[in-house]
Amino acid sequence: MKVRWITVGYLVYLALPIALLFIGSFGDLWLNTLLPTGFTVKWYVEVAADPSFRRAFSTSLFVAVVTAIACVAIGLPLAYTVFRAQSQKIRALARILYQLPVALPPLVLAFGFILAFSSDALPWLGSVWLLIAGHIVLWMPYFLQTVVADMQRLGLRTLEEAAESLGSSSLQRFFHIVLPAIRHSILSGLIIVTALSIGEFQFSNLVSGFLNRTYPVVLLQAFYGATGFACAATVILLALALTASVTGAYAARGAARASTGKG
Amino acid sequence: MDERPSVRLENTSFTYPGGKAGVFDIDLEIAPGELLVCIGPSGCGKTTLLKLIAGFLPCATGRVLLSGEDVTAVSVRDRQCGIVFQSYALFPHMRVWENVAYPLRVRGIELADRRRQAEAMLDMVGLSGYGERLPAALSGGQQQRVALARALVFKPRVLLLDEPLSALDAATRVSMRDEIRRIQKQQNIASLLITHDQDEALSLADRIAVLHDGRLIQVAAPRVLYDYPADAFVASFIGRANLITSTVVASDAVDTPIGRLVTPPHAYPVGTSVQLLVRPEKIEPAASLAGENNFPATIVHDRFFGASRELELAVGQGMLKIDTPSREDFAHIHVPRQAVQFLPTL
Repeated sequence: MKVRWITVGYLVYLALPIALLFIGSFGDLWLNTLLPTGFTVKWYVEVAADPSFRRAFSTSLFVAVVTAIACVAIGLPLAYTVFRAQSQKIRALARILYQLPVALPPLVLAFGFILAFSSDALPWLGSVWLLIAGHIVLWMPYFLQTVVADMQRLGLRTLEEAAESLGSSSLQRFFHIVLPAIRHSILSGLIIVTALSIGEFQFSNLVSGFLNRTYPVVLLQAFYGATGFACAATVILLALALTASVTGAYAARGAARASTGKG
Repeated sequence: MDERPSVRLENTSFTYPGGKAGVFDIDLEIAPGELLVCIGPSGCGKTTLLKLIAGFLPCATGRVLLSGEDVTAVSVRDRQCGIVFQSYALFPHMRVWENVAYPLRVRGIELADRRRQAEAMLDMVGLSGYGERLPAALSGGQQQRVALARALVFKPRVLLLDEPLSALDAATRVSMRDEIRRIQKQQNIASLLITHDQDEALSLADRIAVLHDGRLIQVAAPRVLYDYPADAFVASFIGRANLITSTVVASDAVDTPIGRLVTPPHAYPVGTSVQLLVRPEKIEPAASLAGENNFPATIVHDRFFGASRELELAVGQGMLKIDTPSREDFAHIHVPRQAVQFLPTL
């Protein structure tokens, strides 16, 4: 019974700020009262009409999508190499190296980028591609972790040995066995990367140029204006992140169904 | 019919880097249609042997021949060995029939044809109607059958089974054991089965190869192996055994910790130290001390198995294991003279 109340309490704690945001985004006036007064959708209309928000929205999506694609393109061969490494020591070392960005505050990475790319030799600070490069470094560990763990769980190595003994070439093994077997973890890795990229603030705030600020960076400016406007802008970010999570959940459920079968 | 051995290992060795582990100077043949069971304690090199034949490991010395062809330098892919892995290694994303048809798919056989062949193979292993399922929806025994069907569908030169029954529960294991034998006989394919289970080895094998510390100790038919073990290791690893160190006192008698034993006539000189083997089921309870090789005995351990009892007895200065159907307790035992075997000395 106690456990249930702890759960309920935690859920309320979790939902309350979000609920307030939601209410606030539809409130006409909110000054020194517990709840806002009046109902309006004007804040959403204003956010949608604001050119800097529109621009940030598409920048964020662009950064997230390109980061996700790059994580697959770079991360998949990387994960496979780490998984296949013969020596236990090399595997452990590779693991520590690729997990390092998780322990590093994005702030540290941002300072590094500012130092390296504000010089005349590498004057790329402020470009959207540099922003993407940073996001790849930040979120790659999560992708690798998801995929490598799945490879281990499946016993991919034995599956490949089996396929090899049955006469398949290394290319056939990759497309017939490896890729289909880990397709679900690739997908969920992608969801994680996308969701993290959309919500990232610290790094983007320091590294993005004025014309390609991401959505959370622009959102911060909104807090200096009307409360309702800020709430509406935040709810939009929330919806964006939520869409990513729900898609992820469906993908995971589909994966579970596929692996347990129908019979 | 091809008279060349399906598998032939010539002086084959492999050593794992940095360690003493591996297999050394293996000479072994598997005849067409023969089921050879390789048995040994864990770490003895059984699986290494299998990997050398399959090509997963390179030979350090010696050669591997399949149907007379030297395949020492041939890749795993081109060796055409059907392998059943310990974990079955079924492809989780493929349906059962797709798993079985996979070797045909990579050989470029048309969809309809390979589907038909896969279904026929599934029928043979007793899984008709299961083709559309995913491997995860099958029981352990059924997955095992799928793995067998997949390993046989492309008519491999040899079937290699790596501890195929170890992941199954006890009841399934025994029925699967008979299934493997039936399928192997029906396909008439040379097979190597790796196990550490002596019951499995004795009941399945045409011949058994005993491996110990990377070396072949003895290769023989199950009955020969049991009745005439090459050394104390084989004697105690295959079946239960009383190994008795003794000293020769006459041409038909030895002194042992349990007392003086009359033996079949032998040629060892008096004073030699010899090792004797007496199988527990050959020792009999006796009513009294009267008679040859009768000794007083005290029961120390008593394990009841229904059809038989396994007893441990204190006899003289030593201990004896005996198997007997007798339910009564007794104070004397009889060791028939013919039950006493001399183990070859090194």
